[in-house]
Amino acid sequence: MGKSSHSSIFEVSATVVSHQHFPGKQHILKLQAPVIAQTAKPGNFVHMQCGPELLLRRPLSIMRVSASQGWIELLYKEVGKGTRLLANRKENDQVAVLGPIGQPFEIHDDRPRRLLIGGGVGLPPMVFLADTLKNRDDISKSFAILGSEVPFPFPAMPSNIIIPGIPADTIATMPLLENWGLACRLCSLQGYSGCYNGYVTELARHWLETLDSAQRKQVEIFSCGPHAMLESVAKLSQEYNIPCQVSLEEFMACAVGGCAGCVVKIKTGDVFSMKRVCVDGPVFDATTVFYP
Amino acid sequence: MIDNPLSVDFCDLTFKTPIVLLSGCVGFGEEYTRIDGFSMSAIGAVCLKGTTGEPRLGNNPHRVYETPAGMLNAIGLQNPGVETVIQTILPELDFDKTCFIANVSGSTIDEYEHVTRLFDQSPVQAIEINISCPNVKKGGVTFGNDPDMSARVVAACRCATDKPLITKLSPNQTDIAENARRCIEAGTDGFAVINTLMGMAIDITTRKPFLGNKQGGLSGPAIKPIALLKTHQVYQVSKNHNIPIIGQGGINSADDALEFIIAGATAVGIGTALFYDPLICHKINKGILAYLKQHSISSLAELTGSLDRY
Repeated sequence: MGKSSHSSIFEVSATVVSHQHFPGKQHILKLQAPVIAQTAKPGNFVHMQCGPELLLRRPLSIMRVSASQGWIELLYKEVGKGTRLLANRKENDQVAVLGPIGQPFEIHDDRPRRLLIGGGVGLPPMVFLADTLKNRDDISKSFAILGSEVPFPFPAMPSNIIIPGIPADTIATMPLLENWGLACRLCSLQGYSGCYNGYVTELARHWLETLDSAQRKQVEIFSCGPHAMLESVAKLSQEYNIPCQVSLEEFMACAVGGCAGCVVKIKTGDVFSMKRVCVDGPVFDATTVFYP
Repeated sequence: MIDNPLSVDFCDLTFKTPIVLLSGCVGFGEEYTRIDGFSMSAIGAVCLKGTTGEPRLGNNPHRVYETPAGMLNAIGLQNPGVETVIQTILPELDFDKTCFIANVSGSTIDEYEHVTRLFDQSPVQAIEINISCPNVKKGGVTFGNDPDMSARVVAACRCATDKPLITKLSPNQTDIAENARRCIEAGTDGFAVINTLMGMAIDITTRKPFLGNKQGGLSGPAIKPIALLKTHQVYQVSKNHNIPIIGQGGINSADDALEFIIAGATAVGIGTALFYDPLICHKINKGILAYLKQHSISSLAELTGSLDRY
């Protein structure tokens, strides 16, 4: 606090490097923002000015960074006025970005079987997390499941990485993750080619069922997506007694912990408390958010 | 302090700049210091998060909602209680950098008095009485909308402290000037004008209110003309008693701040504007300085209430 604090959040005017547009009103915005690129961790987000006609910024989670090249990449979907305005930004435009913000996902060495579950606009932190796993020796033990009910914002490809327990016709993966050596499968109820036709939690169950009890003790789940999906993921983790970290979203005003506008009700033991999604989260232990 | 034209005297305290960070927008003062480039030296005073006798969880989400040129909030006075604030939060604050003002709330007059008495024995330099919070079921604005009740709260707090007492007035009342007059009689040393206006927003898909508390307080540029008028109205009463005002409500620029000062404010509160631009205070200070230079005004005090002279 006051006396001992050091700066960790940066307010920068970032240049739009590229802005790609995908079906389902999805967009990938690449920004030149070196100081954020160098300090961001998976689970962090940025708070963006979308247009001068808006009073509040919009929080967007970070999908990729390049510390050496100084860029950050954000995947977002148009869901309201702010993201609609943001979608109009063109290459070389300047946008005000505040970040990186929030508590990141925590990796634990004693749980090398990492199950990443991302849904919809919850994909970005999973991709960022996968990026940090790519140089680890234990990456072959992990599995990523990405779900979407609109076309994926990348061309899916058939995977060459075999995963036991997964239906044979479920072959679609995200090229980036395939290149990084991370086993991944895509899910949708829309019947997209090569994708698992069902919920992300069903596919997760297939995978978990192939593991023996010793292997399951090495699993940790990381998830981000719609609230209902996170609730199902949390239930699954509780059923298998597997630790689970979830990344939440909530309407935000300041995003730096000043206004307590973005809280979630947390249960620790028998005690309830209101935690700020912006700085106490957005990543929380699933058992504290989704309690019986 | 002659060298610093931005410096203002407020209830015998010296604020380095006229900018006061408003209660509820900046936690307990430390959050914004995490932002690179933010400096408490640009800030005259910080009003700490509203504090009650016991810890409060606050309202259920959603707590904030953007509206045209404004936002609704319904936080509900989430705070760890006065004892925790004094024992664990205040010792961490850097009182060399700026002034810190406690913000006192309660459900009963006794609670206001109790919390004020505890803060009286703490290092805070002043105490703001929040009789205008629109987001709690008991206390808050139910006291602030009734001049009799307002005066009783102020009188009770006055008995509990010798520190400067600032009363935060509600705009949700018929005659704010009459309320101000009663608060002066009851012993207030200063005013904060205004708190948020009550409002609501409805999700037409679910036909439910967006806010967990159903209603909330409206802030931001949408309320600025109202806040300015209320500041002007309170000043007509307070100037005769040398009672200073923190003018607040939708201030978003140096020009906005200057309007409030001309209307009668000694200091200006910044809240919602921080959410869009966390470094806005430096820009407002710079703009005010430029204005003073341009108009050959040596101190801000000369400008306070200068509307009357024209």
